[in-house]
Amino acid sequence: MRSSGTRWLSLALLAVGCATAADRPDASRWTSRAIPEARGDIRTEPDGRRVALRYRGWTTHDFGRFRTYAYDDTRPEPPVQRVEMPAGLVGDPGRGRALFLNRTKGPCTGCHLVPGADVWPAGSVGPDLSTLADRKLSDAYLYQQLWDPRVVFPKTVMPPWGLQGVFTPDELVHLVAYLQTLRGPAVAESDPDRNPFTRRKPVGFGDNLDPTNNPGVLRAEAAEGLWSAAGPSGTSCAGCHPGGADKAMRGVATRYPRHVAAYGRVMAIEDFLSVHGPGTTGRPLPVESAQNVDLTMLIKMASNGLPVAVDTTSARAQAALARGRASFEKRVGERNHACADCHRPDRGASKFLGGRFLGDVTAGLTRHFPTWRTSLTDVWDLRRRFQWCMTPLGMNMLAADAVEYAELELYLTQFDNGKPMSVPGIRH
Amino acid sequence: MSDIGKVRLRVPSSIKAGDVVRVRCLVIHPMERIERDKAGKIIDKKYRYIDKVTVTYLGKTVVSFDTTQNISENPFFAFTFRATDPGKLAVTFHDTHGATYEGTADIAFG
Amino acid sequence: MAEVQGLTRRAMLGTLGAVGVAAATAVTLAPRAATAQALGQNESVDAALKRVFGSRAMKDGSGMIKLDIPLIAENGAVVPVSVEVNAPMTPQGYVKHIYVIADKNRIPIVTRAVLTPESGQAYVGANIRLGETGDVRAIVEQSDGTLLQVKREVKVTVGGCGG
Repeated sequence: MRSSGTRWLSLALLAVGCATAADRPDASRWTSRAIPEARGDIRTEPDGRRVALRYRGWTTHDFGRFRTYAYDDTRPEPPVQRVEMPAGLVGDPGRGRALFLNRTKGPCTGCHLVPGADVWPAGSVGPDLSTLADRKLSDAYLYQQLWDPRVVFPKTVMPPWGLQGVFTPDELVHLVAYLQTLRGPAVAESDPDRNPFTRRKPVGFGDNLDPTNNPGVLRAEAAEGLWSAAGPSGTSCAGCHPGGADKAMRGVATRYPRHVAAYGRVMAIEDFLSVHGPGTTGRPLPVESAQNVDLTMLIKMASNGLPVAVDTTSARAQAALARGRASFEKRVGERNHACADCHRPDRGASKFLGGRFLGDVTAGLTRHFPTWRTSLTDVWDLRRRFQWCMTPLGMNMLAADAVEYAELELYLTQFDNGKPMSVPGIRH
Repeated sequence: MSDIGKVRLRVPSSIKAGDVVRVRCLVIHPMERIERDKAGKIIDKKYRYIDKVTVTYLGKTVVSFDTTQNISENPFFAFTFRATDPGKLAVTFHDTHGATYEGTADIAFG
Repeated sequence: MAEVQGLTRRAMLGTLGAVGVAAATAVTLAPRAATAQALGQNESVDAALKRVFGSRAMKDGSGMIKLDIPLIAENGAVVPVSVEVNAPMTPQGYVKHIYVIADKNRIPIVTRAVLTPESGQAYVGANIRLGETGDVRAIVEQSDGTLLQVKREVKVTVGGCGG
């Protein structure tokens, strides 16, 4: 039984003029219900410095200069730039090598293998550069490649490092000098794992549903208490959804993310809880709060083993999927990267980015979220994973419950259709 | 973390008398790591971590682990025991702050 | 759409025979007798081996000891290890101790398992922390004092882009 408050809210939203089926949702009309550190807020300090409010331990750097996924961010990609190599600078290969390996820059080894036992772990997204100098490319050509490779390769996934200011012209000259020392013959590899083209794949962390293996399962079980407890308005989730969460919610999560008419937008379980919770039990469940994440896990676990079944055929879903796909392919941030650059099979998917094996979007990457993160001893939902990915890319994150993220999530989830849910996952 | 001390224990669902049984257990515990100051010197404090795990079966200790801060947070432990008679299997975790946490299973044959 | 094997979490637990047990949080009963010296000391691995084993001979255990550990650890915080020893467990002769040691950790000794004939098999497992790429050893001490060792290099990996 819905409280009269919720009905009023729904009517008020409709009166404000929610987007019609085919229209792009007016994302700016959605007020974030995320916790403060998940809203993507930028604060201006008294001294004029702009500081990003993010999760504890994340950088506070403002990447406002670079374009984002926001639907109203219509800034174009940085224009392709042809440059001359600065004259009179002598490159130092030693400094160049240090820059190549520097984790606060690329590191270039994230995508490219070069010689050296200390090169661990190099990636295979880009070509092996170990004998690059044998190709006798000019310094000017290499400099242009590092400044803005799109002049040479229009469809490249390699960032325009110089154009975006990640490396100074001096640093690029040192890098060119280093690259010109990489002459063959290639040294025989003594360790097949050093080379990302022969490295063994990660083995994972075992059975994600085993409570003696995955602490995330225990967190979700603890949410059963929350499910049954009365909120401030005296009702509980169990009150309207009796029989235990695993019976009452069975099959529900397989249809999310989906368009929710009452709120005029695509929503995942996390988004829906943030409005449904306060609307029914009076309990605030802000997106990215532990309670929201744990309840999301509990609800999704009730669908474990059932095939994901998000709507991909209605006109509304097709429109949202098209916008989600556009986000997936949009080049954003300081690195000018798209999700597709790492996660599409014709680009980075199934290759190593540094030591990380990149997931293939077409294999379905969402059905184990929220996931336990062993390196962080915490549970991450997919939105936090999006927000994290954006940060090394050099893009200011959107609010965790942004419509753009929901539609991107819908785009990803379609590839999980037909595959069994298995929540929580367990990952590094 | 208010979940500290939660234990989950897993034994196979059917055990025959005389089987050597593999057991897995997990305990929620911070297993605090050594902290160092900016100079790299170890910060002297009473770190909270599990330093002993005792497995008893029919009242007798069959396996134990002496553990250090190099065991992961929320650790799992696996071991075996020979199931000779029906009875209680207990895994007890002792930490450096004096807390003990226990998980038990009733071993039955069938 | 045909329903894939609809295993709910509860059903899964039943099949595996998982026993969920709530914790009993008891704060200090009787204080435990202090151990002679804590197992984990801040020392080099050579010092650790000397301290624990003196100059006793250590045989190659690769015929008997199976050390199961990912050769590339995705992070150093959680590295699953198991050690299985193909040796009898009878009162006449059994595996008494299994040590897990991480050479590059500042505290190299990770854990010592103490077994009895009632253990049935010399098999233990745990999640360990690794500070950096380096050798992980399993050292087995039998009831007659024989020491056997195996070791493997484990590489700790890291992302390419900050993740």
